[in-house]
Amino acid sequence: MAYADDGEGGPGDSAGVEAFAADPETGADLAAVDWAATPLGPPAQWPQSLLTAVRILLSSRFSMWLAWGPELTFFCNAAYRRNTLGRKYPWALGRPFPEVWAEVWADVEPLVEGVRSTGEAIWAEGLQLFLERSGYPEETYHTFSYSPLWDEAGTVAGVLCVVSEETERVIGERRMATLRDLGSDAGVVRGVTESLDFHCRQLENNTEDLPFTLTYLYDDEGARLARTTGLPPDHPAAPPRLPAKDPDGVWPVTTLADGTAVTVPLGSGPLAGLPCGAWDQPPEQALVVPLPRPGGSPYGFFVAGLNRYRALDAGYRGFVELVAGHLAAGIASARAYRDQQRRAEELAELDRAKTAFFSNISHEFRTPLTLISGPVEELRRQLPDAAEPVHQELESIQRNALRLGKLVNTLLDFSSIEAGRMQACYEPVDLAAVTAELTSVFRSAVTRAGLAFEVDCPPLTRPVHVDREMWEKVVLNLLSNALKFTFEGSIGVRVREEEDGALITVSDTGVGIPEEEMPRLFERFHRIGGVRARSHEGSGIGLALVRELVTLHGGEITADSAPAAGTRFSVRLPFGSAHLPTDAVQQSATARTGSATAVPYVQEAMRWLPDDEGTGVRDRAEPGVPAAAVVGAPPLAARVLVADDNADMREYLVRILTAAGYEAEAVSDGHTALRAARARVPDLIVSDVMMPGLDGLALLGALRSDTRTAAVPVLLLSARAGQEASIEGLAAGADDYLVKPFAAAELVARVRANVEMSRLRSHHVRWRTALVDTLQEALLVMDEDGVVIEVNTAFTALLGYGPQHLPCPAPHPWWPEAAADPDAHGQVTDAFARLLRLGSGNHTLPFTSLDGRTLWVRAAFNDAHDPDTGRRMIVGTFRDVTAERYASLRERALASLSTRLAESTGLDEALTTAADRLSEQWRAEHVLLAVFTGDDRPPRLTSTAPVGWQDLSADRRRAITGLLGHPPLTPVRDTTGAGVLLEHPDGPMALWIELGDARRFGGEDELLLALLAGHLAQALGRTHQIDQQRETALALQRAILGPSLLPEGFAARYEPATPPLEIGGDWYDVVALPDDRIGIVVGDCVGRGLQAATVMGQLRSACRALFLQDPGPARTLTALDDFASGIPGALCTTVFCGVLDPAAGTLTYSSAGHPPGVLALPDGGVRLLDRGNALPLAIRPGLERPEDVCVLPARSSLLLYTDGLVERRRQSLDTGIARAAAALQSGRDLPARELADHVMAELVPSSGYDDDVALLLYRHPGPLDIAFPAESGQLAVARHALRDWLTLCDLPRRTAQDVLIAAGEACANAVEHGHRAAPGGTIRLSARVSTETVTVTVADTGSWKPAGDPASRALRGRGIGIMRALSDHVTITPGPSGTTVEMHTRIA
Amino acid sequence: MSTQLALHHGRTAEGTAVLIVAGEVDMSNSASLAAAIEGVPGPLVVDLTRVEYLDSAGLNVLFAHADRLELVAPPLLRPVLTVSGLTQLVKVRPAADRDGRAEP
Repeated sequence: MAYADDGEGGPGDSAGVEAFAADPETGADLAAVDWAATPLGPPAQWPQSLLTAVRILLSSRFSMWLAWGPELTFFCNAAYRRNTLGRKYPWALGRPFPEVWAEVWADVEPLVEGVRSTGEAIWAEGLQLFLERSGYPEETYHTFSYSPLWDEAGTVAGVLCVVSEETERVIGERRMATLRDLGSDAGVVRGVTESLDFHCRQLENNTEDLPFTLTYLYDDEGARLARTTGLPPDHPAAPPRLPAKDPDGVWPVTTLADGTAVTVPLGSGPLAGLPCGAWDQPPEQALVVPLPRPGGSPYGFFVAGLNRYRALDAGYRGFVELVAGHLAAGIASARAYRDQQRRAEELAELDRAKTAFFSNISHEFRTPLTLISGPVEELRRQLPDAAEPVHQELESIQRNALRLGKLVNTLLDFSSIEAGRMQACYEPVDLAAVTAELTSVFRSAVTRAGLAFEVDCPPLTRPVHVDREMWEKVVLNLLSNALKFTFEGSIGVRVREEEDGALITVSDTGVGIPEEEMPRLFERFHRIGGVRARSHEGSGIGLALVRELVTLHGGEITADSAPAAGTRFSVRLPFGSAHLPTDAVQQSATARTGSATAVPYVQEAMRWLPDDEGTGVRDRAEPGVPAAAVVGAPPLAARVLVADDNADMREYLVRILTAAGYEAEAVSDGHTALRAARARVPDLIVSDVMMPGLDGLALLGALRSDTRTAAVPVLLLSARAGQEASIEGLAAGADDYLVKPFAAAELVARVRANVEMSRLRSHHVRWRTALVDTLQEALLVMDEDGVVIEVNTAFTALLGYGPQHLPCPAPHPWWPEAAADPDAHGQVTDAFARLLRLGSGNHTLPFTSLDGRTLWVRAAFNDAHDPDTGRRMIVGTFRDVTAERYASLRERALASLSTRLAESTGLDEALTTAADRLSEQWRAEHVLLAVFTGDDRPPRLTSTAPVGWQDLSADRRRAITGLLGHPPLTPVRDTTGAGVLLEHPDGPMALWIELGDARRFGGEDELLLALLAGHLAQALGRTHQIDQQRETALALQRAILGPSLLPEGFAARYEPATPPLEIGGDWYDVVALPDDRIGIVVGDCVGRGLQAATVMGQLRSACRALFLQDPGPARTLTALDDFASGIPGALCTTVFCGVLDPAAGTLTYSSAGHPPGVLALPDGGVRLLDRGNALPLAIRPGLERPEDVCVLPARSSLLLYTDGLVERRRQSLDTGIARAAAALQSGRDLPARELADHVMAELVPSSGYDDDVALLLYRHPGPLDIAFPAESGQLAVARHALRDWLTLCDLPRRTAQDVLIAAGEACANAVEHGHRAAPGGTIRLSARVSTETVTVTVADTGSWKPAGDPASRALRGRGIGIMRALSDHVTITPGPSGTTVEMHTRIA
Repeated sequence: MSTQLALHHGRTAEGTAVLIVAGEVDMSNSASLAAAIEGVPGPLVVDLTRVEYLDSAGLNVLFAHADRLELVAPPLLRPVLTVSGLTQLVKVRPAADRDGRAEP
């Protein structure tokens, strides 16, 4: 297993290479660095933590760098190189980070140092940095996280940075803001000056992208400076005039005239000393762009000083051009406004001129008209038998001659009125009778039209003064008008008498007049368009004339009308003649018969009617296309969408349009047309009305209801002739209507007119669309029901859904599926419901793109009102925060894992913790950690589910084993789970996450898994190392703690704190002093770990030496004070120091702030050794220390200890000491060693000692232990020693004597047998005492085989009997190498 | 080396022979005690008042002459004389202990 060899080899030569192998290209460049020259040294010496970090770095596709070690040596991956580092690669590798990014070090140093000192990750969003990666200092913005990297010692050794560059977004938003500002006031029309003022004020708000600008407008002599921003007045770079022909001008006037942009270097001549804008340095170049005029030469040019910290890329160039475009649009609209005003004035003048002209010329028409009418009439009479075509021609000539004659007469009337030359003659008439008579001539026409004619003219009590001829024109015009616009119902004429005059009304039940047309109803040449009428003939002067005539009569005319209900004209004429010029008033009526005036009106009206015999020609809607338009300028390039179900017609239309220079696309029905229009909005749609499925009118409705297509002009084609059809089409919102058959030229003319109209009309719409589409942020528009009706290109780029998917009702396809991710689905559904209720809100939501990726989107919604429909709309902007979100999720996951791992006390616990955490992270079915320890043994398994290796399916076992063949920290996934290989101190470890069927495991998850696995590997290494360090320290501690052989009577224990807490600085020591005295020390250094152990070792050695020099506890401690002052870390050490005189049973002691010793007395009492106490060590060196003498009663037990034994949280030390004393008492009958164990066991907290504990116990007197030759002469010596010891034990005399005799018997036995079996052997006598028992043991090296001498046997038998009789319990244990007698005697 | 032992001969007021033993009696010097007893024929009072230690070796000597001995023993020796059964064979008179107090 090649991998295992590498892995177990530890960081060797291959380690660095292996870490670099995760990315062959960047890895090769890293390998080429002379690492030996860096503080990190050659890769062979790198710690595992660094190798892990480098491996993660190189295997990530996210942009990252890391800096390690004291100089922050720099590494980065391929993504960072591509996105950020630029030309600094590979120079930067292995260099100190502050050198690599010297230009921004001052900005980021506090951040980096903060991470290194606190160990806490930080996050910065949109930080502005000036990077020199492309050969110049570049304005950039970055969102990044700095995370600490820990080394094996648990200190922060480096910093890992995950970067996403946001330069595009930040700068894009800034430019968009400017463009938005420029467009903010588009509705207000002003002059060119005001428009430029407004726009330049907006430009002054963005001195980042536009440090200064100049706007020049062309005139006849060249260019004239119109505006500047950011420039001081009279700057040499802004000459007020630039002659056209001057090649050496400051700005290239001539070059620009052809419409191309030019870059101009700055810094010399007049272009020196330019302002800096928002920066510290002036621009290095300027971009000069034309101010484009649609279809013409530019208005002028725009000079933009460029931000020297950004390259002039397509985006920047596009921005400047859009700004120029906006300035140009402003100029265009201002000029258009000016032109319109001028045109209105011109039209008024033209109107006057036209009237004058016509009146002048009309006289000239009369003669020729008469000369036409007369001969035609003559010809008709003379050729009654002529062929029908001839009659028709004649008819036509006559009809038009009549019409022309009528028009001429009317115009003459006008000119007369206007010139004040109207020769009126007002005579008193019976107005009711005159009016009734006039109506009668119209009766036949009205009847033929199928209308009722209601004439109600009762006689008036008084006459009215009228000019008969004028009055006839009034009534006839009103009647003609009524007939023209009435298709069913009736026409009525009434005359009524009012207080001061007569009221004459002419009413109809016709189409009515739209309200907005009413004010202009009586204007000259005004015709009401778009309404159904019997004829489109007419000059638009009839009603104007009527009003003029009524006014001449001192009367007034009013109209009231309701569309589709009818119209009523009311004429009021005053009685009497006082209001009339006296010279025109006749006192009596003249007799008049008939009226020639009526004839042309009636004739004209008759021709509108269906069965008007003799006309033969049906009127048809006139094209109304000015001839000039047809032969005008070449058409604007435009896309026309043709919808017709007839294939021939489609081809014909496409042929015509293509020949006319349009781009034409044909579809066969309304639905297809709608889809095509939504996918790519055309400039014009030509649609047949009659189509299967979605017909033309329905298509029109659908287009108009969709914001994106609402403005597209639509030209409807129909075979249905007549006003009704066209009115229906126009009412539905068609821009134009064409009846089949039609001429090609007519179609082209209408198409052109509509495209041009639409271009003008839709300028703001296109501007809006362009704005929306240049938005960096995805944008969508929903209606109040949540149906998405518009999205921009950024939206499509983000989620993949485009205009072709619209309209799109909720649930939108980018919502997460309820089945796959119910939480996410619920989150989105809730947010959406709230949004519809409130209309606005900000949410961060998970969406699924068209290609199935999960994206996190920060969505901001606001409601807006559609000014056209008044409906509430919801506008949402989406920003992709996936990377940020995953980065923060990663941070959180890493932090969570780290925290939990830090709490674990050993490798196994760390594994269990990690498995739980990973399972939680991915909501996994289970997580497996398999450690391969080598050979063919099955791996050691840690799992969140109760499964063993053999419980797993063969496939799964194979998959997990297969991970061994993959490089470490490179995740592998299959259909139901994912795994990764990492290092465990005992061998490679496969980590497998079983996700189940429904879950996806994406690229983000892979990155996170790699990071977590790397973290886990480091933590395992660290935990392992800590374990080992702890073992080492513990061994050291025990080694230097105290003598392994304690004098008799002593017992000592050292218990380190419960893992993973480090061992501390506790110690004890027992020193043999001259005169059989014994020095006793128990101490406690401040701190933990090896350092405390070292301090402890020095203090212990010092204390031992001082003891031997001067065996007085107080003086020893005083000397130790001085010593400790010189040792860092020794301050505040507490020490109990005593000198024991075992023979005298006294302890002289002094304490340096140490807890008091405890003395358990044989009578059950307790005494504390709490005198002789003073400050801990080294606090007041030189201070005299007190000491005290304590008498140790026989069979008492002395306990000395460190505070770990008795100190408990939320407990006083006295309580702890009392507990220790109780434990000492309850075990007082145990031998010293067992008593020590007993005390430790009694006081141990449930979770183990959380501080280390040293304990020293002395039982007074100590046991007796002597050896003597197996000779009878030695018996007395042994006996004396025993007697002395028994005296120390303070036993009752009889008891002591019994023990003495029993022991003597045992010794005598031993001498006898030892003597016999092995002369020169040794007998060992030992005795120990507890509170209640004396135990004596005699051991020899012989065997007690009964001798052959029966007398002797009897005699020795007596000895054994005495032993048994004098002791409470005797055991004799024979053995191959000797016999041991043990005798226990209770103390009475 | 032998254990310290002093042997003195004397007579009681009634004229009975007395052997005054002082010191310790063990295996190493029991032969001396035996010799001293054997050197006095007839009834003999063995005064053990000043014996601090007497083990089975000494007892064996006393047992051997039990029929003609009378013992004067301090309280200290009483248990060993009793447990050995010697008191059943020999008349034992209590002695004042070292401090001159009579045993109760």
